Amino acid sequence: MISAYILINMQPGNVDKAISEMRKIENLAKISVVAGEYDIVVRAQVKNLEDLLGITDKIQTIDGVMKTTTQIIEKEIAL
Amino acid sequence: MRMRIGKKHLLYALVITSSFISAGVTALDSYISGKYISNAWVFGFSIFFVGFFATLFLSLILSIPYKKKSLGARFIDPSFKRLRLVKKKELKYNLVAGFMNAANTIGYCVLISLIYDPSVLLSFSQIVILYLLLIESFTEKNVPTLAEVQSAIIVTFGAILASISLQGAIDIQSLAIVFLLINPTWAFFSIYQRKLKMIRINGKLNDSINIRFWNVVFSFLFISLIILVWDILFGSHYIIEGFYASIDFFPWIFLTMSTTFFAYVLFIRSLGLSSASVNNAIRSSTIIFALPFSALLAYYGLAPFSADPVMLLIKVIGMILIVMGIISYALTIVKAYIFITIKSGYSRKNVLQKLWDIPGISHVSATAGKYDFIVKVSTRTLVKGYEKIVKKIDDIEEIKTYKWNSVLKDWENI
Repeated sequence: MISAYILINMQPGNVDKAISEMRKIENLAKISVVAGEYDIVVRAQVKNLEDLLGITDKIQTIDGVMKTTTQIIEKEIAL
Repeated sequence: MRMRIGKKHLLYALVITSSFISAGVTALDSYISGKYISNAWVFGFSIFFVGFFATLFLSLILSIPYKKKSLGARFIDPSFKRLRLVKKKELKYNLVAGFMNAANTIGYCVLISLIYDPSVLLSFSQIVILYLLLIESFTEKNVPTLAEVQSAIIVTFGAILASISLQGAIDIQSLAIVFLLINPTWAFFSIYQRKLKMIRINGKLNDSINIRFWNVVFSFLFISLIILVWDILFGSHYIIEGFYASIDFFPWIFLTMSTTFFAYVLFIRSLGLSSASVNNAIRSSTIIFALPFSALLAYYGLAPFSADPVMLLIKVIGMILIVMGIISYALTIVKAYIFITIKSGYSRKNVLQKLWDIPGISHVSATAGKYDFIVKVSTRTLVKGYEKIVKKIDDIEEIKTYKWNSVLKDWENI
């Protein structure tokens, strides 16, 4: 299982619609609207890199998405 | 299409439904204790003896596959596949949770044999939040803030007011059982059930149905052991009486334990969504549901009930305080992501550990890409975030840059 964060920059005024579209995408464990460098942070859980490519492709085709930055998780410690 | 709902809404829905069922179960237990099994030890044994069969029966039904998923996964917990054997890594948590539940049940049975009024019983037990705050400050790296302490005090005063029986009496013996046995054991029980829920089994979060089933099994073992020791030491025959009571009143105990199963399964699932103290804070709503059940028991002559407006007013004020305390407690969490890069020539392993040691950091992910680490933070206030987290990050010399992004809203696929 591969986990990754996808950090998304949006055009102003498109966040609500984009979130609705993202909530339809399979394998997204978490979607967070954030304030700061990025507008949306998404956490994906996929079987392989091919599936991750599929998810980033889907996100990039959503209206208002300007740029995505994908960070693949190599190791994680969590409560 | 899979539906995603807000994590917070799901948490509230699960805990409040569980609380409502719990209030009903307490009324039912008071009825059984008052009418059929007055001895607390005998009742405690019967609860788990019959409870084992009730839980096994329901877990097997929920394991039946329906349209590629089990009934349990479809209606209760998406992580559930089927009833399975306990895993080695779950064992130590099951042992602690089982012992705590057994001890808690004995205290609970003694209490319902002393007080039949569910509104008094349930109000007492809300003070558990104080114990949880204290324990979590050690186990979950979460030092309580002033807001948390204020909320806990409001909930406690509310619980004390709401726990006054409608006749105006406060029973010292009952208070001692609540403070020294029921609440501490419930606090540890909640924490260890949460630990079990957070364990990953075959890449998925542990499911609440298996957790509940194995908790009943371990609780039954421990309660049998405790009562057996008592029987040997004091020459009583509670184990044998418990067997007979289980047979004689099987339908009643089966009913109460089947209902309890759903209350617990929903509660355990909610423990996977938030800390034990937040769960128990929301669970305090159970006392609001207890009043109608108290009135129902009084209607059948099984519990005292007074319509004295002053006593009712005190109780209602207590309940309002509890709800206000809970709202202010549960709705004040600030979450954030911190994106971190480190200077070249330094080990990421060391930085990972240094980040993890900072209180308030709930996830540390070492990542490949633009950033070396993505850290998830949960804090009560932004001030605390600065004081406890940002300042500590500043002190890590390997860190080159970091960017704080506050979470405004999130959705989780649970």
